[in-house]
Amino acid sequence: MNTKSTVEIVTEWDIVAARQLGRNEAKVIGFGAVDQARITTAISELARNIYLYARAGEVTIERISNEEKVGLRIIAADKGPGISNLKKVMEDGYSTSGGLGAGLPGVKRLMDTMEIQSTVGNGTTIVIEKWVK
Amino acid sequence: MNVNVQFREDGDVLKGYIEGEIDTYTAPILREELETVQIVEGRKIELDLSKVNYMDSTGLGIFVAFYKKVTKENASLKLVNLSNRLVRLFEITGLSELMSIEIDEELELK
Amino acid sequence: MKELQIQYQKILSDFLANQTERNLYIGQNFIRQLIQKKVAPEEVINIHKYAIEQIYPDLPEDISHSYDFLIEIMVHFGLTLKEHQSLLEQQEELRMEMNVATKIQNMILRTTVPVLDQIDIGMLSVPIRKMNGDYVHFLNNNDSVVSVAVTDVVGKGVPAALCMSMVKYGLDTLEYATKDPSYILEVLNRIIEKSVDDSMFVSMFYGTYNIKESKFTYGSAGHEPAIYYNARKKTFFDLESKGLLLGVMPEVTYPQYDICLEENDFIIMITDGVTDFRKQGELDPRDVIKNLALNCNHLSAQEMCEEMYTYLKNLPDFELEDDFTVVIFKK
Repeated sequence: MNTKSTVEIVTEWDIVAARQLGRNEAKVIGFGAVDQARITTAISELARNIYLYARAGEVTIERISNEEKVGLRIIAADKGPGISNLKKVMEDGYSTSGGLGAGLPGVKRLMDTMEIQSTVGNGTTIVIEKWVK
Repeated sequence: MNVNVQFREDGDVLKGYIEGEIDTYTAPILREELETVQIVEGRKIELDLSKVNYMDSTGLGIFVAFYKKVTKENASLKLVNLSNRLVRLFEITGLSELMSIEIDEELELK
Repeated sequence: MKELQIQYQKILSDFLANQTERNLYIGQNFIRQLIQKKVAPEEVINIHKYAIEQIYPDLPEDISHSYDFLIEIMVHFGLTLKEHQSLLEQQEELRMEMNVATKIQNMILRTTVPVLDQIDIGMLSVPIRKMNGDYVHFLNNNDSVVSVAVTDVVGKGVPAALCMSMVKYGLDTLEYATKDPSYILEVLNRIIEKSVDDSMFVSMFYGTYNIKESKFTYGSAGHEPAIYYNARKKTFFDLESKGLLLGVMPEVTYPQYDICLEENDFIIMITDGVTDFRKQGELDPRDVIKNLALNCNHLSAQEMCEEMYTYLKNLPDFELEDDFTVVIFKK
């Protein structure tokens, strides 16, 4: 069984493919309906950012586990322009999704953990994780 | 009410064209835009204020902070095309003695 | 979550059986619990979906799927709600900071206008928002000299309030030293430059009036020039003085000048809230003030200040955008 799969994000429809993959994995691992929706939304946001700002990148979905529980790790990576003001981008009210309350702060709220690595001119990598409760 | 800056390289001078109003609400935006400027030794920076409709003392703070940063790195800053009102503001505050200011020549001739 | 699920199911099935207003009322009370427990909107729908599936085991699949669809949509609503709550919290924090700043101001920066026989002094300072960015400091600890410092602090909130208290303590300390405006401005400049960040500074007009000699000595640090009216010559003069704002550069010198006040002369000290407004057009605010002052010259200094404020406030083209401060010394 594959515990890791990757979707390349180039066209807008690739976002849908990434969502599909995410939802399937979430279902298999045992996430409930609401958490499935949340994980899918988070993947959607990250993939959309790649599509809008970096033109190309990839989303990797990986099953993770420790002694007590199982979960999913999603890595969204691109070689786009990078984020110059990380602090600003994590502020509420400064949403790249057109003020829909999503954006990166939203992604953080949907998942358990989020880590961002970004350098201007070099690209961005965002890693999010969620565990089945 | 808005403010924005357009940057352009003109020879060895980095020109910034500031447009709009600079007050308590827009000043932070201007500060952020100026923060993106890479200041290196010997850099010549010129800020054009001809399209600045209004500026109050909060705006002054932004320019003073920027001026200090520029001088610290041994670069140079010049403010050009200031309206009469802006020139007066810089003169009253004594900042015209400190920073290089140039009046808007087109306005002068009117 | 399990108990919420069970509770919800009971309330829902009661409603489905009876559909009374009472059921709805109970339902709404239940929501309070959900909000308190910070249950997200999408979770509420999931609770409903599960409950409905239990109550109607033969529920068509499409109905279940429609709930899945709704949950998906609700995720965004949930995020917007959380963002909204977060912004409200931030706003509350800012409001509390402003309250602290205003308290600091009120406690520390109280000022009384000296009442003297030889010179009539009036003052009016009206903040545009909660915290006043202008500060007027009077000094009159003996019968021979009365001084005034009119200051305008650039900046807001607690940092500005602290900067102002620095100015006040500086002035209080210098009270016992020499009274020369030059010296006072020089010292204050050094104090402020050391302690504040690069974009915060203070403008100040400092004047000291020697009662016996009727001599007014003044200096200015980047401040709006005061207006002097000479009654004998029936002319206005602008008391200009070249001096850099306080807090910009560490070593600055400030010139000072003297004028002798004669009977019926007056001096008007202001901050830029009085002369700086957006829709100015052709009006020169300083001329407006000069004319105004002449017209109400017969009033006391305090009355002149109030008259000026009322007139300017009601002027159609004049929109107060900054703290308004005026101090008048009248002989």
